[in-house]
Amino acid sequence: MRILIVDDSAMMRAMIKRVIKLADVPVDAILEASNGAEGLEILKKHEVNLLLTDINMPVMTGAEMLREISMNERWRGLSRVIISTDGSTVRREEAADLDVRCYLEKPFSPEVLRDVLNELADNELAETD
Amino acid sequence: MSSTNSRTTNLPKLTDPEAASAMFEAVRSVAEQSFFAVAEPSDDRSFGVASTQVRGWLVATVRFEQGPLVGSVSCTLPERLANGLFDAFTGRDPGEPEPVSTMVHDLVGEFSNMVCGAWLTRVESGRTFTLSHPSVEPAGQPGRAGDLRLVAAIDDLPVAVDLHLSTLRRANGAPHA
Repeated sequence: MRILIVDDSAMMRAMIKRVIKLADVPVDAILEASNGAEGLEILKKHEVNLLLTDINMPVMTGAEMLREISMNERWRGLSRVIISTDGSTVRREEAADLDVRCYLEKPFSPEVLRDVLNELADNELAETD
Repeated sequence: MSSTNSRTTNLPKLTDPEAASAMFEAVRSVAEQSFFAVAEPSDDRSFGVASTQVRGWLVATVRFEQGPLVGSVSCTLPERLANGLFDAFTGRDPGEPEPVSTMVHDLVGEFSNMVCGAWLTRVESGRTFTLSHPSVEPAGQPGRAGDLRLVAAIDDLPVAVDLHLSTLRRANGAPHA
């Protein structure tokens, strides 16, 4: 599985990477971006299976990036997870319209993220079988 | 637990005790869930006494906009606590090299970002919001209290969280002071 982490906090990206490595998921590569625009550039150049993205970021927000992704057929199979401080019902409903599979609200414990990753990896394997 | 002035009574559907209670719950959830730290309520006197033992502080500020609510949240915490939170968040072993200050500042910014977001979600879960990238500055002592100040202790070290309201917007979007 190839994973892209998009968050403007380098420490949050490092924490997510650490949890990915501790989780029991097959990982081929972990890519990083600090905003939505950088995230889109990486998606154009690399094959990615799972996107973990923040919402509130400078330059391009996670919501704007997800809107771009949802309009492009190329990324139809990309699993999308939001990791954000914004836990509003409006944002959650918006995420559902953008084919987001999971909405993780900050703060969260590493175990919660690990469980989400394991579940997504299981689904990914089941779909490829 | 909190010091307030009259401006917070202008908060839509929000009273001072509700705002302060939601702020403490935000701090507690962030400290416990992401930093494995214990947050306890404090008071101005205890905060003042504990502050005299602190040599250096970090102040992390996040600006927010949530419909009619526009302002900022500043978290002021001792550098020593920031380093402890860094180790808990990243899993750094005490035997590893000390983190550089930019990494600790990024971490404290993320702490403030999470506190602000958790507070906004608690006071108005039906409305989305935008947050600025956090700014983090060292300080010799805690700054002036905001429109609402919450004081707490995280792992027995003093922390202040200040809410500043810059404008409250009318329903038609026109801001007024």
